[in-house]
Amino acid sequence: MKVNHQTAEKTEAMPVSFLLNGETVQLNISPVMRAVDVIRNELNQTGTKISCGIGRCGACSILLNGKLAVSCLILAYQLEDASVVTIEGLSDGKQMHPIQEAFLEEGGFQCGYCTPGMIMAAKCLLDSNPKPDQADIQKAFSGNLCRCTGYGGIVRAIQCASSK
Amino acid sequence: MKKNIRPDGKAKVTGKMKYLTDLSFPHMLYGKILRSPYPHARILSISTDEAQRLPGVQAVITHKDVPALNGFGIVTPDQPVLCKDIVRYVGDAVAAVAADSIEIAARALELIGIQYEPLPVLDCPEKALEETAPLLHPDGNVLHRAGFQKGDIEKEFSQCAKIVEETYQVPRQLHAYMETEGGVIVPEKNGSLTVYVGTQHGFKDQFQLARILGMPAERIRIVSSPMGGSFGGKDELNIQPYGALLALKTGKPVKIHQTRQESMRSSIKRHPMKITMKTGIDREGRLRAHQTRIVADTGAYATLGPAILDFAVEHAAGPYMIQAVDTKGISVFTNNGVSGEFRGFGGNQVTFALEGQIDRLAEAIGMDGIAVRRLNIRSKQDPGPLGQRIVETDGALDVLESAAAVYAEKKRLPLKQDTWKRTGVGMAVTMHGGGLGFGRLDPAGGRLSFKEDGKIEIAFGFEEAGQGILAVIEAITAGQLGCAKEDISIIIGDTSLVPSSGSTTASRGTSMVWHSLQRLKKPFLQKLLARAARKTGIEEKRLSVGPGGIQVNGEYKLSFQELAAGEEPIVVAAQFDFPVSPDPIDSAHFLYTYSGVVAQVEADLLTGRIRVTGLHQTTAAGPVVNEMGYIGQIEGGGVMALGYTLMEDVTMTEGHYAVENFDSYLIPGIVDVPFNLQVRAIESLPAEDHYGPRGVGEIGTVAVAPAIASAIYDAVGLRVSRLPVKPEALLQSIERSVLYES
Repeated sequence: MKVNHQTAEKTEAMPVSFLLNGETVQLNISPVMRAVDVIRNELNQTGTKISCGIGRCGACSILLNGKLAVSCLILAYQLEDASVVTIEGLSDGKQMHPIQEAFLEEGGFQCGYCTPGMIMAAKCLLDSNPKPDQADIQKAFSGNLCRCTGYGGIVRAIQCASSK
Repeated sequence: MKKNIRPDGKAKVTGKMKYLTDLSFPHMLYGKILRSPYPHARILSISTDEAQRLPGVQAVITHKDVPALNGFGIVTPDQPVLCKDIVRYVGDAVAAVAADSIEIAARALELIGIQYEPLPVLDCPEKALEETAPLLHPDGNVLHRAGFQKGDIEKEFSQCAKIVEETYQVPRQLHAYMETEGGVIVPEKNGSLTVYVGTQHGFKDQFQLARILGMPAERIRIVSSPMGGSFGGKDELNIQPYGALLALKTGKPVKIHQTRQESMRSSIKRHPMKITMKTGIDREGRLRAHQTRIVADTGAYATLGPAILDFAVEHAAGPYMIQAVDTKGISVFTNNGVSGEFRGFGGNQVTFALEGQIDRLAEAIGMDGIAVRRLNIRSKQDPGPLGQRIVETDGALDVLESAAAVYAEKKRLPLKQDTWKRTGVGMAVTMHGGGLGFGRLDPAGGRLSFKEDGKIEIAFGFEEAGQGILAVIEAITAGQLGCAKEDISIIIGDTSLVPSSGSTTASRGTSMVWHSLQRLKKPFLQKLLARAARKTGIEEKRLSVGPGGIQVNGEYKLSFQELAAGEEPIVVAAQFDFPVSPDPIDSAHFLYTYSGVVAQVEADLLTGRIRVTGLHQTTAAGPVVNEMGYIGQIEGGGVMALGYTLMEDVTMTEGHYAVENFDSYLIPGIVDVPFNLQVRAIESLPAEDHYGPRGVGEIGTVAVAPAIASAIYDAVGLRVSRLPVKPEALLQSIERSVLYES
């Protein structure tokens, strides 16, 4: 594949409806559109990032029906009837989620571009396993790349969040 | 203890931070750039008619649309913005499109018809240096030569008990910043241009764009921060000229955000180098003669290739005092991808070779590697590697002793009992110059204001790429003035608001912030306290700045808001240069940091896979400004270097990239790195030192590869001379040695 973006096709827009961070979203979208593009461009929720576009880096990670998913490999129409949680849906607007606080206090990020994806992966891990060990943490973050921290700060953030 | 939270932290962990590639504007178009399919070819014709006719296409540009200089490059503008007759690598741009959607822009690129006549491809420096090779630039294929000589090298070689000669080969490395190049370029109503695109030196982009667009620099505003990583990679222009030309042509905002594949193809990388070192040691273990030959593949265009070679030449003898040194380097134009600025700036390459030499020499004369280093390492008053006077510290010996202690401790650990696994420990040390060096324009400066609303505003022309400069500015400003962090507002990354501070490169930011505050503090506090005295009627000498306002004998008296009420702002500015050596030696550095690294590895004899199980880095760089940021830089730098050592290689085949994304180019993931990284800071400086905290943006990347290489030798007896160390190399070596022995 030369470029990520599908070349223009004469496709008819189709309706899609899903829950984004608890709110119902109804859109008419091209069936070739990626979920990440709809979230970022149509819905202007730019906390979800795009980096490799092939599902290797995890920057676009979201929770899809409670499970971790890379939104660059999901087409937007596949979100039909689903519940999507992005980084913007993690805090209630007033109070940060304890995982976000842990990343802040332990230096779990630098440039911050992988961070939303990392935090979604952390949420997914800690929801199912509140006391992860080293192997659990390594497994949970094996789909998320960070170029800044060397993962030290991220590991400390998870350990901090799981001890709270 | 409450941790030092970064000012940009909350926006980052909540996803609220707007990166420049997250921006959108009304009526915004999307841009795409068409790059050459050939590494070297003549352009016979360009036809854009069909693309222009595609509905939704708003502009197609070629070389004809560049109003002024059709070239860019921080020092030498030898890279065409849009190629006219020749393309010299596969990242060369030939046309660009602005359209109503990314999809239409992508489709339009396919409709641009360009006829090429392929030319011979110079895919390595050796070919480019052949006498019959076609010339890639008017002055030939040699971009730059650099050298350094000291002492009588032949005489010293004749005094040596052992001489080791080895050729080291190091790969092309991708910066792999998670945010690829991009942003939005907005034509303003008054005819000026605002460029929302990340870079490491906003004013340099402004200068370069002005000469491309034929516009006065002051009519171009660069908003350059924040960035999702850079590591040197966004120092040179990338998509800015295309976005600017398209925005001016269409009169609409144009967004370009390169895909990872587009980024891989067009971005600069770390220089691949071939380094031959011949080094001699005498019976007592003293290094007597050290000869280095460096061949650097800069690819198609110069960018900062010459300066990087100069840096490599300077650091070829590292922190060691050697009787005779003879270093020669050459950087060569080829039809490969452009090599340029990258964290470590040529130091990583030569340090890998140099430390490899020390290990080999120590073994050759039957001495311990640490003992050889101890015997030859520089002391406080010794001149720098080019003979220049440098800032005196005990850093070199301090990091060596720290690494030696860790090394001894790790060596005492029981060996892993596993038939198919071997463990090893290795170490290495280095020194690394900060700033751009003697004879290079290296201005710095800052501005401190007391605003009408009572805020203390500190402004620098730096950019936040993740390194933590905001936290550094906040901590140093609050620390120097005595106010609280909440009293400060920070302005960076916008040429319309900031003073010139020089580039956000070369580990210079932290240093220059501290130096600025040394100059700004006194006049600022004088004015502030004079006003406070006038307002309170209390003598000035009894007043001081404290958190939230003015204090009298330590008692809170007047808030900053009260102090500001009804008054004009106070503004104090400083302009100065990065400190340089009193000895006028071109490119020589003055302010160095030091690093000692211990690596532990586990080698799998069945798969050839090497796992780094421990990485312990000691850094001597003066006082730590922000502990979390410091640890993050050293750990993150170490892991980036781990990737360089074991995984990363942007391979090119006949001028074409053989890798295009994170499926074929692997950077370290969490499972590839030690779970507990160890960082130790040596903060002490001599009492007379007045240079303050040094930047640590690069030093954590420099000595990791040789430490891992040394650990690999300890584990399986393989002397590494080529990076990355692939499982095949290990398996071949095992067949030759370990298995037969057991």
